[in-house]
Amino acid sequence: MSMAKRTKLFLAGGAATLVVGLGTGLVASYMGLQGLTVLGGGGPSEFAYVPADSSFLAYADIRDVMDSELRRRLTDLQPAAGEGAERFRTDTGIDLERDIDYLVAAASAPEADASGDAAMPGPPLILARGRFDQVRLEGLIRDRGGVVEDYAGTRLLVQERLAVGFLEPDLVAIGTPAGVRRAIDTKASGLSVRGNDELMGIVRDIDDGDAWAVARFDSLTTARLPAEVVAQLPAIRWFSASGFIGAGVEGQLRVETRDEAGAEDLRQVIQGVLALARMQAGQHAGLGDAVNALQIGGQGTTVSLSFSVPPELIDVVIGMRSNEQALWLVPHVVPGLLVTPIPGL
Amino acid sequence: MRAAWRVFELSIGQMLWSRRTIFMALVVGSPVVLALVARIVQAAGVAPLRVNGAPLDAAGLFGMLIWILYLRFIVPVLGVFYGTALIADEVDDKTITYLFTRPIRRGAVLLGKFMAYVVCTTLVVLPSVIFTYFLIVPVREIAQSFGSLVTDLGLLALGLAAYGSVFALIGAALKRPLVIGLVFAFGWEQVALVVPGYLRQFTLAYYLQALVPHAAPSDGVVALLQAISTGPAPSASSSLLWLLGAVVVSLGLATRAVERREYVLEQ
Repeated sequence: MSMAKRTKLFLAGGAATLVVGLGTGLVASYMGLQGLTVLGGGGPSEFAYVPADSSFLAYADIRDVMDSELRRRLTDLQPAAGEGAERFRTDTGIDLERDIDYLVAAASAPEADASGDAAMPGPPLILARGRFDQVRLEGLIRDRGGVVEDYAGTRLLVQERLAVGFLEPDLVAIGTPAGVRRAIDTKASGLSVRGNDELMGIVRDIDDGDAWAVARFDSLTTARLPAEVVAQLPAIRWFSASGFIGAGVEGQLRVETRDEAGAEDLRQVIQGVLALARMQAGQHAGLGDAVNALQIGGQGTTVSLSFSVPPELIDVVIGMRSNEQALWLVPHVVPGLLVTPIPGL
Repeated sequence: MRAAWRVFELSIGQMLWSRRTIFMALVVGSPVVLALVARIVQAAGVAPLRVNGAPLDAAGLFGMLIWILYLRFIVPVLGVFYGTALIADEVDDKTITYLFTRPIRRGAVLLGKFMAYVVCTTLVVLPSVIFTYFLIVPVREIAQSFGSLVTDLGLLALGLAAYGSVFALIGAALKRPLVIGLVFAFGWEQVALVVPGYLRQFTLAYYLQALVPHAAPSDGVVALLQAISTGPAPSASSSLLWLLGAVVVSLGLATRAVERREYVLEQ
């Protein structure tokens, strides 16, 4: 007795689905489709100035952040914060709300000093895309003892520890003199961070946020923490964070561990802490929602923690802050009336 | 093996075109429908995918479906309903006499039916996983998550075989196998996993979960209990060995039970 025709057809259909699905995945992984991603996933054009050995890379869409509802509400809460921005505009001619579109920041891992200890990392290279008054900036830096020099056809304003380079009509590099010169060299050589597959792979995963940052974990910890503490940290290779800013904030923290066992251990630790936090936060409605919004994820060597700060929670925080300010005002407004402010009320 | 193959050919059609298949289609179709809805919602830009208010990426959503729907529900439930029925259905329908009076070993009947179960369920469940995956995961993320998909397919096939063999043993050796199977899958396995000590080592889920490449969903108290009570997860190689061992031992015992047991057909 042999199988009925419809049974054979069904089995062949099921097997074909598996084969086509796995084949498509295989092709997507190793041949053509990944290339499509690479074509569109090279990051901002400023990456051409970022050296390939960078251990830290960050991006912030200043326009989105400045235009966000969250920023507007925070500004309303602290009107004095605008005075600093106004002073900056007077000095430099740069209106932070309108003149800067986005920033890219990068830093390379510090080299070890003569004793073999890792040195503290220097200031990062900042690449700002926007509209800048070159003459005004040049005058400002000259007034403060800076000199103008030409480096590989690019005009640099150099102080002792700070340099500003006008790389393109609407692109400015700010950093140490050596850092800015290296950025110019990187662009000329074509050996930019785009050739760093490991770093760019992580960037491609997170670069859809308003702001994101990727850093090699040892570059963050080695110079700042004692060796005994570093030895106790989990085997993490990369740390990244990304976020969307609107009326609230949504984001994701992510680490890449050296092996899957390390990732699994880390997931279990976070999972336990989250579960404990949920039990503790159950009595407070606002806090409970925030803790419930924490979601652990990731696979393989990736561990991620997603979070969301909804507008309602920000309202609560703003409300608490307003109440706090109001209570602090009472003793000053009504002399002689003794009122003890209750922080957090 | 030849006899088992003949029983396989006979049983696969019966298994596929039975009323139980409607149940299977509903069960394995639900993740595909969920994935389709998620894709439509995402494409319409109505709202991003979220869990407890937090955005969930595509790989995270797919991993959650693998954990919650496939591993914790679909695989055990198909194992119970099909595995316990391999012999019990023939007894209930009083047709087992026709099989046992053939000039083949009784054990070959069980083996042939078990092969039919494995082929039938894997060729329904795994394509459902493939459809779910391609509906949820964007093309640009396939390169990173494809390895996990292959692992998922392998562990689900192994899970179906392991649960099927254990429930085939229950179906061959005990009366009321469906009730016992449901208690085992959704009672014993769930409780033993969170009880401190070594009890979890007597569950299939313990070894299957160790093979899953996705983060386990954190669901409050259960996650806390598991975090407190669970020691280090078994290695992938030992999990594979234990699961394959469970298949071989269960099938061996089931074959022995079928060979030796006298099935009394109720009049």
